[in-house]
Amino acid sequence: MDNVILEIGLALALIAFAVALAHKLGLSNIPFLIVIGIVVGPHAPQWGVFDFRFIETGSLISFMGRIGVLFLLFYLGLEANLTRLIEAGRSILAGGSIYVGINFTIGFTFGYLSGFPLRESLIIAGLTTVSSSAIVAKILFDYRRMANPETQIVLGITMFEDVFLAIYLSLISGIVLSGATSVGGVLSSGGIALGFIVGLIIIGRWVTPLLNRVLRISSSELFVVVVFACLFLLAGLGETIHVAESIGALLLGLILGETEHSERMERLVVPFRDFFGAVFFFGFGLTIDPFTLGGAAGMAIGAAVLSLIGVIIAGLIVGRRAKLSVVGSLNTSFTLLARGEFSIIIVNLALAGSLMPVLQPFAALYVLILASASPLLAKESERIYDAFARLFKRLRRKKKVDEEVEETDVESVQEPRAEARGE
Amino acid sequence: MSTISEVFLPGVGRKFQVETLTGDRLVIVIHDDGTRELYHFTRRNMDRPASVLRLTDGEARQIAGIVGGLTYVPRNLPMAEVILGDLVLEWFTIERGAACIGQTIRELGVRTRTGASIVSIIEPDQTTRTNPEADTVLNEGATLIAAGDRRTINALKRLLIEGRVE
Repeated sequence: MDNVILEIGLALALIAFAVALAHKLGLSNIPFLIVIGIVVGPHAPQWGVFDFRFIETGSLISFMGRIGVLFLLFYLGLEANLTRLIEAGRSILAGGSIYVGINFTIGFTFGYLSGFPLRESLIIAGLTTVSSSAIVAKILFDYRRMANPETQIVLGITMFEDVFLAIYLSLISGIVLSGATSVGGVLSSGGIALGFIVGLIIIGRWVTPLLNRVLRISSSELFVVVVFACLFLLAGLGETIHVAESIGALLLGLILGETEHSERMERLVVPFRDFFGAVFFFGFGLTIDPFTLGGAAGMAIGAAVLSLIGVIIAGLIVGRRAKLSVVGSLNTSFTLLARGEFSIIIVNLALAGSLMPVLQPFAALYVLILASASPLLAKESERIYDAFARLFKRLRRKKKVDEEVEETDVESVQEPRAEARGE
Repeated sequence: MSTISEVFLPGVGRKFQVETLTGDRLVIVIHDDGTRELYHFTRRNMDRPASVLRLTDGEARQIAGIVGGLTYVPRNLPMAEVILGDLVLEWFTIERGAACIGQTIRELGVRTRTGASIVSIIEPDQTTRTNPEADTVLNEGATLIAAGDRRTINALKRLLIEGRVE
């Protein structure tokens, strides 16, 4: 462990390179970090003092990654505000339920029918359901879609998914870490985890005024140490009673998110989340042996295609309810197709619960596919719609020709298209 | 007056949509991090913005001041107003024949009778008296900047023009 700082420095240089490259190409940095993590590792060469195998520092990097998960989930907790979700209105609750319901069902069925046991299927269902908030926000901002009517629906569903993720992660961590395999065992351990969490949130609401007073700290130095001490303590305590450490962080975020200090904490956490989060994605890639990717490829592609179908169906239903144009509905679908940080966090639980190791390369490939496909599809949604409209037009014309044996009036075919676009 | 609607964008901030009298649409997105986005849609194409402008918080505030007429009041406008929540700031030019000409603020009893207050006077020669004394005489052609709520401002205008509150 002589060159430990040098090795960490090398890892950080690779991370910086991946983030810079993603930035240069205008893409999300999560897939780049995972890929560069996969490329290096025990099978990589060693050039002089530069050791790309990361054997000695592997445990350190994974520890930094663990801290990254704490910050990612603490931030999720601060953001995922149940009160705000209820305020946002019934349409968001309905749209979010439809969206999550469809994708979760597809994911679970896919996992189960592919022959995975119950716990693995639950992990697959989770990781195929939740969109990446980071990529969604990036698509909306980069493609200048903030003013579009579908954007408030996309953001509403993302917020719904955050709350869903918070509840689901807590449930599933109880199930995965307790080692239950029967349906009854799964239900009871899930119930215990849920009870613990609901209890903590109720207590948390009750002590909000007290927390407001205690956290009224003007020194920013004292504020950061106090908050981080709470974060690590609660995460660690959760671990001792079989609640994943990340859930402790998530719950603390949910509780502190209700206080008047939540915005100050968000500002405080963001740089730590970005730094340690990047190390987490890199470290996740590092744990994947590139030679296992081939075995998971077919499954990852299958899941990605199913997710694409799922989001399109859900997007069209939600879009119709909200009276969006078809292009608007497709924008909703393709934007929400992005998978990223949360899928990796969910599959990380599988690692902690020592579930089947094939889940890691599967999740990596699945996230790589959808993190790259979603921005491309979202950008070209209008052209994709036009292509389909033309295809349907041709099919319909052909059908008409077959039935009536006469040329179709072009005018009458073009009319419904203009209507569908909401013009 | 144009119609304005306001929508909450979860995790981003707020969106304001203004349908202008010219038939265009202006969408203002205020991000919680301070970034502002202005989307301009023309009547001909409401699906795709003709232009998008991104501003920092500082730029947005500066531009808001300019657009709102805080630095320069349009010269040919008899009155202009800025609304900040309940607070209304109104620019009001004393025209020929107004009842208040030649009287002082104290004689009129501006504050006691209407509840609004005159925060600044721009004389016809463009000299500005900020926070005018109670014995300042109101002259024809001067522009007053008055602060109050909608009701008290209306009472003030009536007092200045007609010389009575009711």
